[in-house]
Amino acid sequence: MNNKFDALKDDDSGDHDQDQGSPKDSEKEKTEDKDEDQNSSRRKMVVPGAGEHPLQYNYTFWYSRRTPGRPASTQSYEQNIKQIGSFASVEQFWRFYSHMIRPGDMTGHSDFHLFKEGIKPMWEDDANKMGGKWIIRLRKGLASRCWENLILAMLGEQFMVGEEICGAVVSVRFQEDIISIWNKTASDQATTARIRDTLRRVLNLPPNTIMEYKTHTDSIKAWEDFHGLVNPSGGR
Amino acid sequence: MSTECQKTTAKAIPSTRRVTINDAAHMPNDYSTTPGGTLFSTTPGGTRIIYDRKFLLGCRSSPVAKTPPRGLPKIPGVTSPPSNEPDEKASNGELINKKTTSPESSTTGDDSQFEMDI
Repeated sequence: MNNKFDALKDDDSGDHDQDQGSPKDSEKEKTEDKDEDQNSSRRKMVVPGAGEHPLQYNYTFWYSRRTPGRPASTQSYEQNIKQIGSFASVEQFWRFYSHMIRPGDMTGHSDFHLFKEGIKPMWEDDANKMGGKWIIRLRKGLASRCWENLILAMLGEQFMVGEEICGAVVSVRFQEDIISIWNKTASDQATTARIRDTLRRVLNLPPNTIMEYKTHTDSIKAWEDFHGLVNPSGGR
Repeated sequence: MSTECQKTTAKAIPSTRRVTINDAAHMPNDYSTTPGGTLFSTTPGGTRIIYDRKFLLGCRSSPVAKTPPRGLPKIPGVTSPPSNEPDEKASNGELINKKTTSPESSTTGDDSQFEMDI
């Protein structure tokens, strides 16, 4: 019965920085194999039903959770992430959302990811590898409302940055919650500035809220540095 | 058959107007409005399907939204069964499939799901 609480220890991420346990190159193929197994019954593209309101893009909900009691280094990110399903219309979105727990009520080290269909919530996905994310750390109690406002703005195309948005993540951690929104091109400052301004507007954040932009290449570097330095038995 | 239409190239946004915001009170109330009152129905990337928050929230009560999506994975504590049929769900997956598809097919009529207090 060793470190049951390891899962709760780290809280500095908007996504899977600490969870990923395998080299980048082999990871993608494996994930694809796994996806086929997992979702062979609904790999067909979803379409809006008759009379429903189509969205600009189809989206997929994902869920991930660190399994308590095992060090994260033995679990790869892909083992912990699960597809919930895809939707193409406003009504289909609500079908999922209404049958999912609110992030503020989740326990442990858990994340919801909402990404455009075909983009995996991983740094290595082609759509993400040149990208980055805006991160907002929230004190406990705000995650549900902020997450809802964030994803409604994304689904409703409120960011006005063309094809740039990849997806959004809410991460429930021990002492705080984190929401983030990922875009394709980290170097495109006009885009990242516009996303930041839209976030401020739609999330209705207190004026002193700190927003941080992090490129995925930096995230990968930080992850590798950390895991290169840490003692393997030292947790995470 | 004109070839000219295919030679359209991307152009900058035709006109730019800067609006300075010094106070949160100057921000618009809804997502479809930008500071200064411009309304985008078309964006630089072409026409896009845009919904504001209020509209999206309005669709929440649509009858379709009440039934769980088919194939919703059961993740304890994360995805919840519909509140009115937890027993069937636990005992018989087939039955649930039938139940969830039937309301879907009846959504073309807008009567059955709503009741009026008279």
